[in-house]
Amino acid sequence: MTKKLLLLIVLPVAWFVGCATFPDAQSTADRAEHMVREAHTITGPDLNRRTVQDASQQACSAVGGAKLTQQQAAVIVKAARDNIQYPTSGKLAGDWKIGARLIADGRGQRIINGKVEALKENGALCINCHAMDRQEVNAGNLGPALIGYGAQRGNDEAVARYTYERIYNAWAFMPCSNMPRLGANGFLTPEQIAHVVAYLIDPQSPVNKLQ
Amino acid sequence: MHSAGGFIVLVAVMVLALTAHPASAQNKAGGLVKNDGLTKHDDLAVGRQMLAEDNPGELWVERGRRLFHEKRGAKNASLEKCDLGLGPGVVKGVFAQLPRYFADTNKVQDLESRLLTCMVELQGFKREEIIRNRFGTLDRDSDMEALVSYIGAQSNGMRMDVRLTHAQEREMYKAGEYLFYRRNGPLDFACVTCHGDSGKRIRLQELPNMTKAEEMREIIATGWPAYRGTHSTVRTMQHRLYDCFWQMRLPDLGFASDLSVAITTYLNHSANGGVIKLPGVRR
Repeated sequence: MTKKLLLLIVLPVAWFVGCATFPDAQSTADRAEHMVREAHTITGPDLNRRTVQDASQQACSAVGGAKLTQQQAAVIVKAARDNIQYPTSGKLAGDWKIGARLIADGRGQRIINGKVEALKENGALCINCHAMDRQEVNAGNLGPALIGYGAQRGNDEAVARYTYERIYNAWAFMPCSNMPRLGANGFLTPEQIAHVVAYLIDPQSPVNKLQ
Repeated sequence: MHSAGGFIVLVAVMVLALTAHPASAQNKAGGLVKNDGLTKHDDLAVGRQMLAEDNPGELWVERGRRLFHEKRGAKNASLEKCDLGLGPGVVKGVFAQLPRYFADTNKVQDLESRLLTCMVELQGFKREEIIRNRFGTLDRDSDMEALVSYIGAQSNGMRMDVRLTHAQEREMYKAGEYLFYRRNGPLDFACVTCHGDSGKRIRLQELPNMTKAEEMREIIATGWPAYRGTHSTVRTMQHRLYDCFWQMRLPDLGFASDLSVAITTYLNHSANGGVIKLPGVRR
């Protein structure tokens, strides 16, 4: 009788331990974070800091995609809004012709054999993910097409400001968006962003030449 | 490669064929791709198809076969005693089940990190030397790329079958899943940023959706090792991950690092059931 009872207890426990049990979330996170710290042996601490997450990146990293509560989303938006810097000139729309060069430049900050690529400035990376000029076939589609952006929205101060802020920190509008926080992360300067804004909203820009 | 000249001629002929008859060539998608409202002919897909029918990667398979059986290194030994998971010297079917746990190293290892162990322990090569030559250049072939090509091809026709029977394998799988979604770096990227949706491209480069088993079975089972046309060599999964980290603006990914093996464990497991056909062919 007691033997039977013992088996009834032992068998399920043995099954539970022996079978495919996955580690819990905390030990998985600890293990994976340890791997991140150990994975980059060519570069020094200054470059390896790039792998350290800020609070917003952490909140956006949930397995299966971040499902933010309203409160979590508000925290990310506030952090993003609080640090937007503007060009010293105050001009949010720069020169669309400089913008045209920047949007097609996919380079900047890449590391190979322990060294960051040497460039005068980073490219703005835009057409890696967005169609902008309908004549340009070599554009990605990870982000929405922006063909006719200014033609649809106009080019007044409010549009320029919204566009500038959206590029400076996309998470101020859409927390955990796939779009990098290009200004906030220091990848683009405020002046570079203003040139990209001009490329998007200037009536003379190829973005807004629809015929 | 001694046959590089012949291959260049082959490519030239294919380029000519593409420009001469673009409309007659067909790929799986009928040779047409949609590009934001514009429809254009997908020459790249046609080129891939043509390359796949006469895959230069076969040269790496043959070189890898020779290297595997040749006595080499300080210990003048072949790799015939190398245990890749199914016993010493067994190459057939090992790719299908990797990464897996190995008792002698007490680690989960992918094909590259396991070969590294064998080349150091059995053949007496220096670890740093193998790592320095992990990626071939136009001037110097990589033994690692050849060996991975050979061993990968010995699972052709079999199905991916990463089992996660050992506790450490399950730990690696979960860590890989965690890392796949981990956003970091100056561009806030995680793997999922580019590989979380179907039909997406960076510029014209198509991106597999790695959250979808159907696409994973295809991409992993026919993916790396693969002959890369733009690199004129076979690249391995370790190189693919290294290249992604470079694009993500992250520091150089350590060859055979636990991080790389964790991601590969997660991805390969998600491809279970996919029919293996290696080496693949990529842009």
